[in-house]
Amino acid sequence: MIISVNWLKQLTDIDIPVSELATLIGARLVEIEEVIDLGFKYKDVVIAKVVTCEKLEGSDHLNVTKLDDGGKTPDIERDGAGLIQVVCGAPNVRAGILVAWLPPGSIVPETHGDAEPFVLGSRKLRGVMSNGMIASSRELGLTDEHDGILEIDKDLAPGESFAKAYELDDYLLDIENKSLTHRPDCFGVIGFAREVAAIQGKPFKTPDWLAGLTPDFGDRFGDVLTPQVAIDDPSLSARYQAVVLSESDGSVKSPLQMQTYLARVGVRPISAVVDVTNYLMLATGQPLHAFDYDKLVRVGGGKAEIHVRAGKDKEKLELLDGREIELDQGDIVIAAGETAIGLAGAMGGANTAIDDNTKNIIIESATFNLYNLRATQMRHGIFSEAITRFTKGQPADLTAPVLAEAVRLMANAGGKRVSDVAESYPAPVTPSTITISIEKINGVLGSTFTAEQVAQVLGNVEFETSVNGNLVSFTAPYWRADIHIDEDVIEEIGRLSGFDEITPTLPKRDFTAVRISHFDQIRADIRRSLVRAGANEVLTYSFVHGNDLLKAGQKPEDSYRITNSISPQLQYYRQTLTPSLLGAVHGNIKHGYDNFALFEVNKAHPRQHGMTDENVPAEADMLALVVASKKLDEGAPYYQAKKMLDYLGTSLGLDLMYVPFESESNYPAAAPFEYRRSAMVTDRKTDTSLGIVGEYKKSVVRGFKLPEYSAGFEIGSVPLLDAIQKLTSSYRPLSRYPSTERDVCFKVSQSIHYSQIVDSIEQALKVTDLESTILPVDIYQAEETDTKNITVRIRLTPHDRTLTSNEVSTVMTQVIAQVILVTDAVVV
Amino acid sequence: MNIDQLRSELLERISTTDQPREVLKAEEIKQLYAVIPTLDPSERGPHGKAVNELKLALESAVAEREAALEDDAIMPLDVTAPWDVNTRAPHLLPTEQGTQHPLTRELENVIDIFTRMGFEAIESRQIDDDEHMFGSLNFPENHPARDGYDTFRTEEGFIPPAHTSTMQNRILKDGKAKLEAGGQIAAVSYGRVFRNEDVDATHEHTFYQCEGVFVSRDATLGNMLGTLRSFFEVYYGQKLKIKTQPAYFPFVEPGLEFAIEKPAALGGKPGEWLEMLGCGMIHPNVLKSAGIDPTVYRGFAWGGGIERLVMLKYGIEDLRHFESAKLQFLRKFA
Repeated sequence: MIISVNWLKQLTDIDIPVSELATLIGARLVEIEEVIDLGFKYKDVVIAKVVTCEKLEGSDHLNVTKLDDGGKTPDIERDGAGLIQVVCGAPNVRAGILVAWLPPGSIVPETHGDAEPFVLGSRKLRGVMSNGMIASSRELGLTDEHDGILEIDKDLAPGESFAKAYELDDYLLDIENKSLTHRPDCFGVIGFAREVAAIQGKPFKTPDWLAGLTPDFGDRFGDVLTPQVAIDDPSLSARYQAVVLSESDGSVKSPLQMQTYLARVGVRPISAVVDVTNYLMLATGQPLHAFDYDKLVRVGGGKAEIHVRAGKDKEKLELLDGREIELDQGDIVIAAGETAIGLAGAMGGANTAIDDNTKNIIIESATFNLYNLRATQMRHGIFSEAITRFTKGQPADLTAPVLAEAVRLMANAGGKRVSDVAESYPAPVTPSTITISIEKINGVLGSTFTAEQVAQVLGNVEFETSVNGNLVSFTAPYWRADIHIDEDVIEEIGRLSGFDEITPTLPKRDFTAVRISHFDQIRADIRRSLVRAGANEVLTYSFVHGNDLLKAGQKPEDSYRITNSISPQLQYYRQTLTPSLLGAVHGNIKHGYDNFALFEVNKAHPRQHGMTDENVPAEADMLALVVASKKLDEGAPYYQAKKMLDYLGTSLGLDLMYVPFESESNYPAAAPFEYRRSAMVTDRKTDTSLGIVGEYKKSVVRGFKLPEYSAGFEIGSVPLLDAIQKLTSSYRPLSRYPSTERDVCFKVSQSIHYSQIVDSIEQALKVTDLESTILPVDIYQAEETDTKNITVRIRLTPHDRTLTSNEVSTVMTQVIAQVILVTDAVVV
Repeated sequence: MNIDQLRSELLERISTTDQPREVLKAEEIKQLYAVIPTLDPSERGPHGKAVNELKLALESAVAEREAALEDDAIMPLDVTAPWDVNTRAPHLLPTEQGTQHPLTRELENVIDIFTRMGFEAIESRQIDDDEHMFGSLNFPENHPARDGYDTFRTEEGFIPPAHTSTMQNRILKDGKAKLEAGGQIAAVSYGRVFRNEDVDATHEHTFYQCEGVFVSRDATLGNMLGTLRSFFEVYYGQKLKIKTQPAYFPFVEPGLEFAIEKPAALGGKPGEWLEMLGCGMIHPNVLKSAGIDPTVYRGFAWGGGIERLVMLKYGIEDLRHFESAKLQFLRKFA
């Protein structure tokens, strides 16, 4: 919304520079996106008098004029009488009129802000010198009128500034509408000016015509049947008023001054009648609509009977802009008898449009349910100055004063009132009074106002106030339909006095310490640990393309589907993090990174997790990592991913165990992984199942264009937290006796797992009282064989004696026997 | 040889060879094509059709066979072993290559300050219902203020939250008992939020917020200004000037936008302001919907974006980098 500072000045004193004004408005009313210096655009336009006007020889339409600029323009070619020669092609140019002249060197206002503004010069036209130009209304950026030059309608001396004469030496404030959603009154300049007065600490006086609820509609000049008005459903419209005017002449233009005011805030002047309705809307926030009365009677079957009702199923309406729309039951319709003649608040119907033959018009002043209109606006794509205001919820009491003022102003354009004012106002609003103690006001704000001060602050915006001891009573004026509860009043006090005047203080609190949650602590630990392991943390979108799910072997129907996404990339909630990570590998490889690991700690939303107690989808907190290398590294990539997971587990105090899959698993987390080259991950100390580590299916590798050497893991962060919280200390005091180490090499079938050997050794050592460590030394498989040699180092530590070699031999014999028993091994 | 015979012979070959695709180049197939010009024109159509059908059947058999071969070729691993046969222990990647994401790092930093100030930190949900996202926050259905949030919706009507305030009702309900026992509610909720908008250098559909809530018997708007100023002073390590602007958010009243004077650390000069967040006194209806009596208790709440803090801190030029998973970007934050 554009607000003109000069228009504000007509309504209230502004005695601070515009920059200060803008800052003050920003701090106490609404954000200003931009301050536009309108005067700059018109600074060179001069009022000039056409002294002589003669046909240019050899041209059928050009005239040579001599202009009197009062001698004000410097450095310009003049004739002996001091006049300036300008060639002009407008049909209405003639001697004696005052015009807006653009001197050489000035920019045509219409082209201000264009990439290449049009700069005027002095040049010859058909051999005759022409200095600058005489401007049309369009060239001045005021209206679309370009059939002739603009004629000045004020009695002015040549040489005066056009900008000054028409108050175009103005600043425009571009207002961020969103912050005024709840303030319909501020969508009119009068309401805005009221605020501007009050934030400067000054009282405001609303013009009498707008302040009274029962205005005088003046004399009635004719005798047309007064329309019958009925609001069929009071939830659709709080109030509907209409009056018939006659003899309005569509060709009558508004005074130029009014036209410039409309134009500068972005409303095109059209005719005196239309301009009045727009002017009043801009001034008060109350839109008006005009119907052709006689057409309305015809459409209504000979009766002037207006209904406000809901749209009917399959009902159609041709709008003023020529579109035919199908109405919805949520639309509010204005009907003549049975027939729709307008989409309330949005646009009139073609069947009652005003045209050159219109004799009588009906002016409508009404309010409509803003929620219905918001839906109508979206449904039919209608965005206008009027509906913008209607959807803020204009108060019902506003319709009468604005309608009365419209009747008064239209009289200037020849329209006379010829009917009574028809009205339906089912439930008139009664103002309510809010009484608040000054302690509460200061308590909420942290301020130190007196009762008298707060009464004054809201008195400035025309609240009725009274002070009774520590209690202050406030009655809001009718245009403040947003004031209902104590907090509404307290906000106004704080805002108008300036929130920045309140002293910042800290709340009192006790000494109870607050720490971040265990979960957050663990996740921070995970990040640190994986970063130390050389991995890079990423964040990827929570939503994925359906193809990514398919590529990862997951079923789209296991995902929550987004129905209104602007992009196919955001179709589904992800079920696990792995597909997002896999999607990030190829791009990084292409950028020349050939050995890296990406991990993410985030949420996923598989449908399988069902609902929470609150009946919202359960979330899965996950940790996933992918490691990829373009150069084929040594061995299977599985072991690289496992190595990183082991490192993470160890740094968190866990002892991870890897269990082979017997068959393909159904979980979404397992879907991308090749089960024969993957393992279930469990914490051995707490027997907590955590997730999966492994290589990806061939189809997944192809789908995501992964290098051959890719593997990763995905584990649940909540089970991880559970395991960590269950941990107990496994510290054993250091032994004072020496340890003994023995390496043993077992030759086993290649189907035997390394863990079977380690488990057997531990099994055998369990019966001893020795502390032990078992470390891998070598895993060797000769080509073309189906056996492998696994060498382990066993370290035995006694706590109460020094081991003899006999004792060691006995223990080792037991150990080897147990391994052979379980794995059929041969000791090499 | 007729086509049916040929088909079964070639299918047999495909099912037994390790190079099934080679079968598609068989001489017999080429011959089927080669004979076409020699046929009577009336026979050419049916012949061509039969050859095409054969070709399709063979191709699908080849694809099946290839998949089976690929599957057979997968060698199960000893997943319990520390490394592969005939190799050595794998190494971790170089530590100097590892990086934490700048957003999670900043979130940890912000949460650290707020917890030290006495605020518990709770992660926000990434899928929620209308009641938590809007209803309990004094946004009636069809309220114009809902438009500003451009929310995504799922088929079931769930919402990827557009603000971390989606946790506010839960925080208030959880804190009610503590409040009524004479304590205070002090919590921040942080996490990922979503808006259905086109992405460019300054717009993202996915970003991070941190919101705070404080409720007591005597909280004031001055307390809110003091708390927020204190946070930013600790965050930037210097004294700061603040200013506010009235704003409209249905869940607070009064509602404000909060700005700080641009800190020297960011190259700020006096008179330059940074809008940091939206804030206000919690609307009585919001307290009521959590069962808290607004005539006894009152509070304040605020919410702001994390990306902005990070972008200002490092001079990051494009919002899209954060969720891009580009190592080029990530490795700058070692």
